[in-house]
Amino acid sequence: MEKMIDVELRNIQKKFQNNIVVHDFSLQIEKGEFISFLGPSGCGKTTTLNMIAGFLEPDEGDLLIKGKRMNGVPPYKRELGMVFQTYSLFPHMTVAENIAYGLKLRKQSKAEMQERVQRVLDLVKLPNVADRYPKQLSGGQRQRIAIARALVIEPSLLLLDEPLSNLDAKLREELRDELKRLHQEIGVTTIFVTHDQEEALSLSDRIVVLNHGSVEQIGTPTEIYHNPASEFVHTFIGKTNRLHGVVTKVEGNRMKVQTDKGFVVSALQPAKAVQEGQRVTVFIRPEKIVLSAETAPAGVNQANGQLMMTSFLGAFTECQVQAGGEILDVKVQMLEKLAGVTPGSSVLCQWHEEDVLVMPAEGDRL
Amino acid sequence: MKKINILAVITWIVLILVNLPFLVIIPSSFTAAGFLSFPPEGFSWQWYTMILERPEFIDSLIFSLELAAVTAVLATILGTLAAMALHRYKFRGSGIINSLLLSPLTVPSLIIGISALLFFTKIGIAGTFTGLLLAHALISIPYVVRLVLTGLSTFDYTLEKAGFMLGANPLRVFWDITLPLLRPAIVSGMIFSFLTSFDNVTVSLFLVAPDTTTLPLAIFSYMQETLDPLVASISTVVILLSLVFIILLEKVYGLERLFGLNSQSH
Amino acid sequence: MNKRLPVLLLTAPSMIILLGVFLLPMLLMFLLSFENAQESFSFENYLLFVQDPFYVEILWRTIRVSLWTVLTTLVLAFPVAMYMAQATGKMRGIITMLILAPHLISVVIRNFGWVVVLGEGGWINQMLLSLGIIDEPLRLLYNELGVVIGLTDSFIAYMVLAIATSLYAIDPSLSKAASILGASRVRTFFTVTLPLCVPGIFAGVTLVFSLSMSAFVTPALMGGTSVKVLPVIAYEQIMSTLNWPLGAALAFLLLGSTILLVSAFTKIVETKRYKEVFAS
Repeated sequence: MEKMIDVELRNIQKKFQNNIVVHDFSLQIEKGEFISFLGPSGCGKTTTLNMIAGFLEPDEGDLLIKGKRMNGVPPYKRELGMVFQTYSLFPHMTVAENIAYGLKLRKQSKAEMQERVQRVLDLVKLPNVADRYPKQLSGGQRQRIAIARALVIEPSLLLLDEPLSNLDAKLREELRDELKRLHQEIGVTTIFVTHDQEEALSLSDRIVVLNHGSVEQIGTPTEIYHNPASEFVHTFIGKTNRLHGVVTKVEGNRMKVQTDKGFVVSALQPAKAVQEGQRVTVFIRPEKIVLSAETAPAGVNQANGQLMMTSFLGAFTECQVQAGGEILDVKVQMLEKLAGVTPGSSVLCQWHEEDVLVMPAEGDRL
Repeated sequence: MKKINILAVITWIVLILVNLPFLVIIPSSFTAAGFLSFPPEGFSWQWYTMILERPEFIDSLIFSLELAAVTAVLATILGTLAAMALHRYKFRGSGIINSLLLSPLTVPSLIIGISALLFFTKIGIAGTFTGLLLAHALISIPYVVRLVLTGLSTFDYTLEKAGFMLGANPLRVFWDITLPLLRPAIVSGMIFSFLTSFDNVTVSLFLVAPDTTTLPLAIFSYMQETLDPLVASISTVVILLSLVFIILLEKVYGLERLFGLNSQSH
Repeated sequence: MNKRLPVLLLTAPSMIILLGVFLLPMLLMFLLSFENAQESFSFENYLLFVQDPFYVEILWRTIRVSLWTVLTTLVLAFPVAMYMAQATGKMRGIITMLILAPHLISVVIRNFGWVVVLGEGGWINQMLLSLGIIDEPLRLLYNELGVVIGLTDSFIAYMVLAIATSLYAIDPSLSKAASILGASRVRTFFTVTLPLCVPGIFAGVTLVFSLSMSAFVTPALMGGTSVKVLPVIAYEQIMSTLNWPLGAALAFLLLGSTILLVSAFTKIVETKRYKEVFAS
């Protein structure tokens, strides 16, 4: 069965003055998909969203929604829903009037309007606030109403522009789950713009990682996390240890790297093939390193070190280990269980070769 | 092709209109003709040399400048003291003093002028420099108070505490820390007071003596009798003088901020 | 520590000026306004407004001129404020400067400039005559039109400031939200932007109206002898006729009717909904 493509970006390009802010962006979004644009500020994610919404026009490339070319179509004719970072509820209208605004423009009857407003208020679990003004609501409630207002017109596409970033940590998590539930319930195709990798990982069917206006990678959250296409994607998506070294041996799909500070690391051959003698960067995530109190000779994928510093963070402890000339970040669950390990103790760091990521060194870094 | 922005067009028309008086006055002051016309005929400095032959304009210019300078100094010192006291020591009733000090702004200057005339006649200072000075100080002090209060609203008193902790005595703290941080507000209060006094007509009108008048009033009375290029040349002098202070005000404080338009909200 | 003492001491000089040049004189003026020709207490001066159609006509003219001024400033200031709200920082600064700087130059001089432009031999008439659009000079000065032009020039800055301030405060994403919900630009303007800057419009209207009611210099210079508004009559009573009690009464009647009209206006516009939305 052929999949329905809801949104398609074909080689979209956008310049501000002489700065290219979005470069050659192509993407197909399937019907019902939840897709995130993830990247640091200035990466072009919001600009792209604004082009999809119609607030900006691409300089080059085509934008298709439900198969129709949208270039030049003003936002108010695109039939989209959008939720903004600042809630953007109309302060001079009640909650009900805010939600009904889009329906009124679509010339719905009063009775139908009332019914649909109530239905969508139930959907966002705020059935009793219809007659209040936005300023009488809390931040989280306002954002739910903003979502309700966007959904009530049954948009072909829902655009979320960092909708959670103005909320405090606890509310943010609550609303994140709410978004997930709503998406599962309604199944509206959704584009979610964020700079928070956790939000993107937890919500999305697919993530588009952007940097400096270019697409770094498009993939599912697990692909992005485990098989990053670039150093940028890997480092942006979480904390990591970075070691520099030279490839000493390539054998089938396995390889060995000698790092500058004296570790021997074995790894699986990366997507971008490397050759013997090539300079590479080796990444190992802190939570993939296993810490133990044993002493063993240094060897492949293990290193002796000294525990320097620990920070207890509740569910886990962040440790710094001085090993060779490197300082390794290690995330340990229940450090308490390692009897006798305190700052200053000798420890052994070990990791599996599947957890090692090797990439060709970028530039001629020393 | 960019569409013509109709708002921009209207805006520029309005901007030209509000500046039209000056665009007309300045050129026509250089006319070679003996009567007022725009566009001017020929070019000459004759109407400027003519000013020198009219002592009443020179005298009133000097009078106006003196009055404005003394008003500015007086209003700034009194207004600054009052504002600093009000901001530092809050108690029940300080709000009333605050609104009382600002109240002259809410009453038409016509009434201020008439009431001052009635009262000054009673106590014998109508038509004197002192009378004018007091009335001008009255209408300038509220601006100084407001500006200094605005300046104080962002003032961080912990800076003063830090000064004390470092061993400075109260006078040094005031001189080295408080005053420099409030300087933009105080200086702009002074310039604004100067302009308020220098421009004033409505209040002055009731308080000047026939032989000692302010420049705007001299122009006002002259205009009601004759309209000749002399008015244009003397006006040009006033415009240029005012412009110096306006530019100063813009540099020191910014007109946008002065008129409470400082929201850089997006 | 007693806080009152330093405050009283430091505010004393300003308060003395306030009392001696403002509050006390106003009180005296108020008392004087109840004096009749025989120097005894009476309401004669105030009753003139009910009895003498001459004064009623003058009051009505003053209100009419003020209303026209409010209307023209509003119509001209709104687009300027809108444009300022859209403009970038630098452009906004230039416009602000150009609209505010004239405001700091004496009104006498600005009026003089307008006389040169609008007079019978003025620039506009000359131009229209030479283009053959008119046969004889238009009367643009020394009538109500002239006064309204002069007052509009004097007070437009206040209207621009009031409206611009309220427009700046509107979150720009609100019009984006309206647009994505299906509202065209015009629709967005009428359903979102305009309702939200209503407080600014009210503030500007009240301020310009009050200022126009008590304006004196511009009507004197641009209205001449034919457009006598209440402040001009009051001035004449004080300075020429030397009937000070009547002059004082006229000034207070002016103030009273201004306050009355402004509060009536406020009462009408501040509906329950308005208060709920805009009360801070």
